[in-house]
Amino acid sequence: MANLLMFHGRECPHCKKMMPFVEKIEQETGLRFDKREVWHDEANADLMRSHREDLAPKCGNQLRVPTFFNPETKDAVCGEVEYEKLKDWALKQS
Amino acid sequence: MKKRYWRCFVCNDIHYGIAPPELCPTCKVLNAYVEISAAEARKILGGGPNTSQTAEDFRAAIESFAAGNEFEVNPDREKVDLLLKGIFENELNHGLKYCPCRLRTKDWEEDLRIVCPCHFTIHETYKGIKDGECWCGLFVRRK
Repeated sequence: MANLLMFHGRECPHCKKMMPFVEKIEQETGLRFDKREVWHDEANADLMRSHREDLAPKCGNQLRVPTFFNPETKDAVCGEVEYEKLKDWALKQS
Repeated sequence: MKKRYWRCFVCNDIHYGIAPPELCPTCKVLNAYVEISAAEARKILGGGPNTSQTAEDFRAAIESFAAGNEFEVNPDREKVDLLLKGIFENELNHGLKYCPCRLRTKDWEEDLRIVCPCHFTIHETYKGIKDGECWCGLFVRRK
């Protein structure tokens, strides 16, 4: 099963909006997102920074949250996206 | 070109930039700036009045900033409240009002780009977009 990461921020409204989508996708598909909060947990922030080369080109050349990432394929989606788009992306990773 | 520090010899305004302003914006004297060291600039700024800023003060500041521009503070009060909470948590924990919807790289100069308000008018989420907004949604194009 794919090891999917979700980088998010506690006070990021886009992340807050995406969280129920993520939980619904987990319930419907059996996939799991490893959720990493990056502004209050420095280890999680460092993990996100370690993937900067792969993430930044897909996110306006910055590190942005929310970002959904597959470390194996280096594929990423960032920002507030529609439920179906995120679900399709997640299924494509499995 | 690296930015440097400059001091107005008349009123002690401090400027941080690649060149000094021709006209001091405070005392209106021409050619008044002299280059100073970072240490001197920090001492001058650090010794000044210890102004503090609450989230409500910052809200008023960004509303005033937006008033002269083509954008406004997002009318969605709940969203703005959450963002202001994050901005102030970031200032407390990481030193500056970093955007809660991005992550600092730990490169000081690069991270200045994500201090709120950032230069979002050039970002793909705003530039040329009818309903454009900054990445976090704190600012939206005025209708």
